[in-house]
Amino acid sequence: MSAAVLNQDLLEAAVGRLAADGLTDLRERALVRFGETGFPSVREENWRYTNLAAAVELSNAYLSDAPGAISATNVDISQLNDDIDAHWIVISSGVADPDALAALQDDGIVITPLSESNDSDQVCIDDPLSSFNAALLHDGLRVRVAENARIEKPIGFLLQDDAAATAGLSQTRIVVDLGRNASASFIELHRSGGDSAHFANSVVQMELDAGASANFVRIQERSTKHMQIGRLQARLQENTTFNFTTIDVGGKLIRNDVAVTIEGAHAVANVCGVYLADGNQHIDNHILLDHRVGPAVSMQDYRGIVGGRARCIFNGKALVREGADGTDAEQSNRNLLLSDTAEIDTKPELEIFADDVKCAHGTTVGQLDKKELFYLRSRGLSHEQARILLTRAFAGHILKKLPIENAKKYIDQLIERKLDQLTGDTDQ
Amino acid sequence: MSSEANDIDRLVNRRYEHGFVTDIESESLPPGLDEGVIRAISARKNEPEFMLEWRLKAYRHWLTLNEPNWAHVSYTPIDYQEISYFSAPKSDADRPKSLDEVDPKLLETYDKLGIPLHERARLAGVAVDAVFDSVSVATTFKDKLSEAGVIFCPFSEAVVNHPELVRKYLGSVVPYRDNFFATLNTAVFSDGSFVYIPKGVRCPMELSTYFRINAANTGQFERTLIIADEGSYVSYLEGCTAPMRDENQLHAAVVELVALKDAEIKYSTVQNWYPGDEEGKGGIFNFVTKRGDCRGDNAKISWTQVETGSAITWKYPSCILRGDNSVGEFYSVAVANNMQQADTGTKMIHIGKNTKSTIVSKGISAGKAQNAYRGLVRVMPQAANARNHTQCDSLLIGKQCGAHTFPYIETRNSSAQIEHEATTSKISADQLFYCRQRGISEEDAVNMIVNGFCKEVFKELPMEFAVEAQALLNVSLEGAVG
Repeated sequence: MSAAVLNQDLLEAAVGRLAADGLTDLRERALVRFGETGFPSVREENWRYTNLAAAVELSNAYLSDAPGAISATNVDISQLNDDIDAHWIVISSGVADPDALAALQDDGIVITPLSESNDSDQVCIDDPLSSFNAALLHDGLRVRVAENARIEKPIGFLLQDDAAATAGLSQTRIVVDLGRNASASFIELHRSGGDSAHFANSVVQMELDAGASANFVRIQERSTKHMQIGRLQARLQENTTFNFTTIDVGGKLIRNDVAVTIEGAHAVANVCGVYLADGNQHIDNHILLDHRVGPAVSMQDYRGIVGGRARCIFNGKALVREGADGTDAEQSNRNLLLSDTAEIDTKPELEIFADDVKCAHGTTVGQLDKKELFYLRSRGLSHEQARILLTRAFAGHILKKLPIENAKKYIDQLIERKLDQLTGDTDQ
Repeated sequence: MSSEANDIDRLVNRRYEHGFVTDIESESLPPGLDEGVIRAISARKNEPEFMLEWRLKAYRHWLTLNEPNWAHVSYTPIDYQEISYFSAPKSDADRPKSLDEVDPKLLETYDKLGIPLHERARLAGVAVDAVFDSVSVATTFKDKLSEAGVIFCPFSEAVVNHPELVRKYLGSVVPYRDNFFATLNTAVFSDGSFVYIPKGVRCPMELSTYFRINAANTGQFERTLIIADEGSYVSYLEGCTAPMRDENQLHAAVVELVALKDAEIKYSTVQNWYPGDEEGKGGIFNFVTKRGDCRGDNAKISWTQVETGSAITWKYPSCILRGDNSVGEFYSVAVANNMQQADTGTKMIHIGKNTKSTIVSKGISAGKAQNAYRGLVRVMPQAANARNHTQCDSLLIGKQCGAHTFPYIETRNSSAQIEHEATTSKISADQLFYCRQRGISEEDAVNMIVNGFCKEVFKELPMEFAVEAQALLNVSLEGAVG
């Protein structure tokens, strides 16, 4: 099968149509950069399980239609606040409502459009999807949390794409800096407004200065017609803490890349995730924990429940570089496979170039423990009840570690609904 | 200063005891590879037409392939036109009928290796089909084996005497298009071993082949084919040593195992080829394709390997678990010291129902070596109740070495149960201190700890191999701690 190739001429024309602003130079650089690589193909090790052909085709179709300005998204903010109490910022194709940004200016946190922040050289274009993202950026967000600031209420980004009638393509970029000893929590909520085909490509960059701590929860509940590639990269300086959890229940083709680089001693990184898939969903989680300095601690903990004809991928990697002594890196990936047409591909990697390290990983793929089922049945639960209870507990392992309390209730309900759907359509 | 230099000399020489070149005239083809070379190899071995055609088909396909670069190893590119593809000890026409007729120089070589063929073979009850370079020159215990109906002979003999078996099974596990190195092997393979165990026969002894690479500039391309017919059992040992020299030698072997219904094959390897010196100069490139096919129900294939040699090891002994209830096992110890690079592991492909596989891999890195485990466990949709357990542990000795784990687990059946565990650690100061405090030297302490770390694998080896493997391990890690 020949790999789908993005039409560079169409891309160039589309980049040219974007209004000249503070990002023009970045777009040009990103365009050249993307031209050198194009989209990754399944022949590349990191993409062997995820074929982007459909996303590339959609992009070609979208770019050839010479799309115009983006339309604002209609979102009921009060409903959103009922769901999760946070400072919500609605982002459509990377652009946020300036009034909403202005409302947030005082808490030691400043959020400006990326085009006005005069530091577009901070925008990463190192990998193909980041350069594609930067080339087509309408705008992005620049978030700065001041030194020693403690932001109590989470900052919520709603990434909602209203692709009502036509196929859509959207790029979102959020660049976050946390000053020394600052702390803040972020929620990234991915939703679909319409139900036609859409390809969303988002990149979040986080810089944690010494002593800073950040919680980040990503909730992805896209329509099953939507494709999404989301990249989150974080750089941790000394004594920082970064807690990340991703919840994936929706989407047709989802690819999450999480890259955490530990550049300072005594940093702690917790990267967790739950993925629930059925139907024809495809969810791919790639995590890279790059230990450049030790001592530091990292934990990757992902759990998946997969049914229908879905396919889920976990590829976690802990890289311990020469000199990163005192590293303690752990990986765990456990999966429940609910149907014979579903597939789980898991690849927990360790690449270690230092000797004073403690690294371990464990992976399982299987079914619910028969002994546990029997135990519950012996206590009078029906097979069905026991199965549902244990399946919930399986996902609950990650949920109980959720770093943002405000999001807990909403996520519990979301998972519950998805589990009902998942456990309902199997007959074991 | 000079005593220091002497020490180093002593260490280097001691570390690789089998480094010497036996000076016998080799009848080699000039370096280079084209269809003419392949025809010449085939003609020299009196092969039937189908073999030549198969070789040529492979060669033509090989020309379309690129050398793989995904492994976690790096080396200067190999010039395939610089290699001589055939080398046979002289007097090929009248082969020796018994050991007395064998070139005394050859026997001397085996003496230096510590395997006096006639004695050791009898003592250990092992039939040795020794491959000296490319052509087998001595085979013992043939009578006893033929009594049982077992065919154990050099590959080239099998091609002539048992063409029907060769034709039926050769390339049925590793097809000629399989991969770059296997395809090259198919085109140019010189010799190897052929084993056929008839229905219901338990092979009366452990079969063993000692391979040696000898002539300068000669890549060695063995081909081994083992067929265990229904209900049979065989244990096969393969051990390797090679002379010391400064040029990289390419070794691209192919091993095919076929286990039919209720049959069992146990294949054990101790690989101790020249790993190159401290700077990584010289040493063998060991790019091997090994695969076993559990073709019938209840078949079992077990791979055990102790890999201490070679500059680069690129090797993934695999099991295709086709028959229902078939079992695949892989036990491995891979040691890499100095500049050695190892990228090794296994593939377990579960196709039949109730298939089981076990993987135990122990990697030890020291010096500036890189040691990677790369494994695949794949459960196909029809493989109900497939079961796999994988344990891969890495031990690091020193600041500059690397240990890597790349496990691929692909599951497409909901009744499958897959577990994978891995750890990476170093020999702790506490462990060493404890041993030192009890009067054990640092080197002995390290050996003890390492042997303990590898115990799970060593216990799978046949007795005489286990002893050799432990000694080898100690030698391989000499000078690693200090």
